[in-house]
Amino acid sequence: MLELHGLHRRFGDVVALDGVDLTVEAGELCGFLGPNGAGKTTAMRCAVGVTEADAGRVTIGGRAVDLEARRRTGYMPEERGLYPRMRVHEQLVYLARLHAMSAADATASADAWIQRLGLADRRDDPVEELSLGNQQRVQLAAALVHDPTLLVLDEPFSGLDPIAVDVMSDVLRERADAGVAVVFSSHQLDLVEDLCRTVAVIAAGRVVLRGDVRALKRASDRRLRLEIDGDDAWLATLPPGVTLAGRRGEELQLVLAPEADAGAVIDAARGAGPLLGVRLEEPKLSELFREAVNGGDA
Amino acid sequence: MSATRTVLLIAEREVRQRLRSRLFVWSTLVIALLLSAAAAAPAVIGLFGTDVELPDEPVDPEPVAIAVVGGLAADEQAALEQALGPVELTVVDDVDAVAGLLEQEAISFGIVPGERVLTAATSGFLNLRSFEADRAAEALGLLAALDGDVEQVGTVLGALPLTIEELDAGDVEDEAGRFLAANIGVVFLFGVLILYASMIINGVIEEKGSRVVELLVEAVPVRWLMAGKILGLGLVGLGQVLVLFGPPVAILLVTGGEFVPTGTGGLLGALLLWFVLGYALYAVMAAGLGALVSRPEEAQAVLTPANTLMIVGYFVGFFVIQAPDTTFSRIVAVVPFSAPYAMLVRQAVGDPAWWEIGAAIGLTLLTIVGLTMLAARLYEGGILRVGARVRVRDAWRAARD
Repeated sequence: MLELHGLHRRFGDVVALDGVDLTVEAGELCGFLGPNGAGKTTAMRCAVGVTEADAGRVTIGGRAVDLEARRRTGYMPEERGLYPRMRVHEQLVYLARLHAMSAADATASADAWIQRLGLADRRDDPVEELSLGNQQRVQLAAALVHDPTLLVLDEPFSGLDPIAVDVMSDVLRERADAGVAVVFSSHQLDLVEDLCRTVAVIAAGRVVLRGDVRALKRASDRRLRLEIDGDDAWLATLPPGVTLAGRRGEELQLVLAPEADAGAVIDAARGAGPLLGVRLEEPKLSELFREAVNGGDA
Repeated sequence: MSATRTVLLIAEREVRQRLRSRLFVWSTLVIALLLSAAAAAPAVIGLFGTDVELPDEPVDPEPVAIAVVGGLAADEQAALEQALGPVELTVVDDVDAVAGLLEQEAISFGIVPGERVLTAATSGFLNLRSFEADRAAEALGLLAALDGDVEQVGTVLGALPLTIEELDAGDVEDEAGRFLAANIGVVFLFGVLILYASMIINGVIEEKGSRVVELLVEAVPVRWLMAGKILGLGLVGLGQVLVLFGPPVAILLVTGGEFVPTGTGGLLGALLLWFVLGYALYAVMAAGLGALVSRPEEAQAVLTPANTLMIVGYFVGFFVIQAPDTTFSRIVAVVPFSAPYAMLVRQAVGDPAWWEIGAAIGLTLLTIVGLTMLAARLYEGGILRVGARVRVRDAWRAARD
């Protein structure tokens, strides 16, 4: 669906994108992560054609991005943007029509999204009179109103209250289920972990981690915590790929490489004495993120 | 959706938003009402019959007050009476005393016998030099030439003032009316061009500052955005000109009769023409320059080049009113930036040839095309660069086709 190939972009001496490659498939809900200044916003702006890359190319559906493709894209800029004095419904209809929707379809779609996002009682109010949270809902509606097949959302969750976060999450999941390719940036890693099947992590202008969240976790080191009523002699015979990372009181903290067999480690531990506690932890997305970003810097 | 439909959609939004402003609509209607009332006033007042009744018999003329340095011989006084009717002489010692009386407006003029006639300094704008002083000088000069024959002086003077006949009194009023129309036209055109240039730039800055432009450029090429904005506000402006001036001109044409200068309808047409061309000229500049800044307070500074051209054109327009058919006026009336004012004035009070009007329109159109290409490029390069003011060179480079 959306493909970024080797995007490069400089702003003066600052390298914002240093060869970004990223593919987001139809029906995929992809979290786009990265520390501040890593190039998330620039990459997204290049994807929707708001910023032009110095080198590399963007394709949507296998074709270079033309006006037609851009009109099938829904975009939420990082710095929110709407006409402050224009009324909510009128504004959504206008934006939908600019995206080549007929007047009747635009009206129906604006009504539907206003209803869906809980803005019915503010339908005819100027946007500037809405609370920031409600303005954000209008902004989401503006990205969705023309029924796009690709959604590019820059920090859609920032500044939302928990209820609005739920609404936004539901809408994004629903759109992805309907076959829309969705990519959004966020710093809320727990939320991304709950919501997204796939993530991409960008650091210093390059994608340093990309893939299915579950697969990425499985491909990473796990942490095994053991509490044993016995001595440490068995640690001398740890299987390959298992290292002792630390000890807190009675608890041993072992790091297991992806290929290491956790069962074999536990069996060996049981030989040393009765097990008081066992906990096998997959890495959190935040740990994968830190590792990828720090690795990217190295 | 085609370019035309998109541009029309953008223009439609501009018109809607402008018409939604109660201040804009009501102020336009109130001004239109006032102008219509002013246009109707002469006819309404005429209903109350305030025509001035002129007396059938001439009333006794007031004696003409004259200061004389030293004194006046009897024949000289008689000659003055031949020329002016009854006179009231004040004898003074010197020219300074005459000046004092002139300053107090106590006398019409003064005489240094056998030497000269003294009047107050005249205004350069309107020639108000005393007719009476001229007559007195003639009479005293004749008296000397005719060896003191007062009777003869009277005869000659009686024959002298060769009646001055105004061939068509209507033309004078007509010219005054056209002069007034040219003045109003220039002031109005300047006001409306400044107003709409600032509307354009504020609209551009609103879209840029509120970042809504990022949503728009995703769906619409930036040049279409600029075209739609200029078209929309231009239509609002044209509508406003028609609402403001249509009714008063119609009222004048219906009720004014001889009062209305000939060709008033044509002048309204010229005003519309030069509004449209002047608007296009300055609106594209405002749009291109507006894309370079992000904050409303920067608007006036960045508009300075366009405003300077507009102000120079405005003053040139007033200059042309004074002398509409000189070489200078004929040149500035075809030079694009002064043409909207200068040609409008020449069409009102001058006598431009048809080819001069055509050249002015053609050159202005060519300039509009060139400026549009330039402005579109600045707009394209500047509109997405929020923050500090974008330099023209950077915007130019940023807009890569």
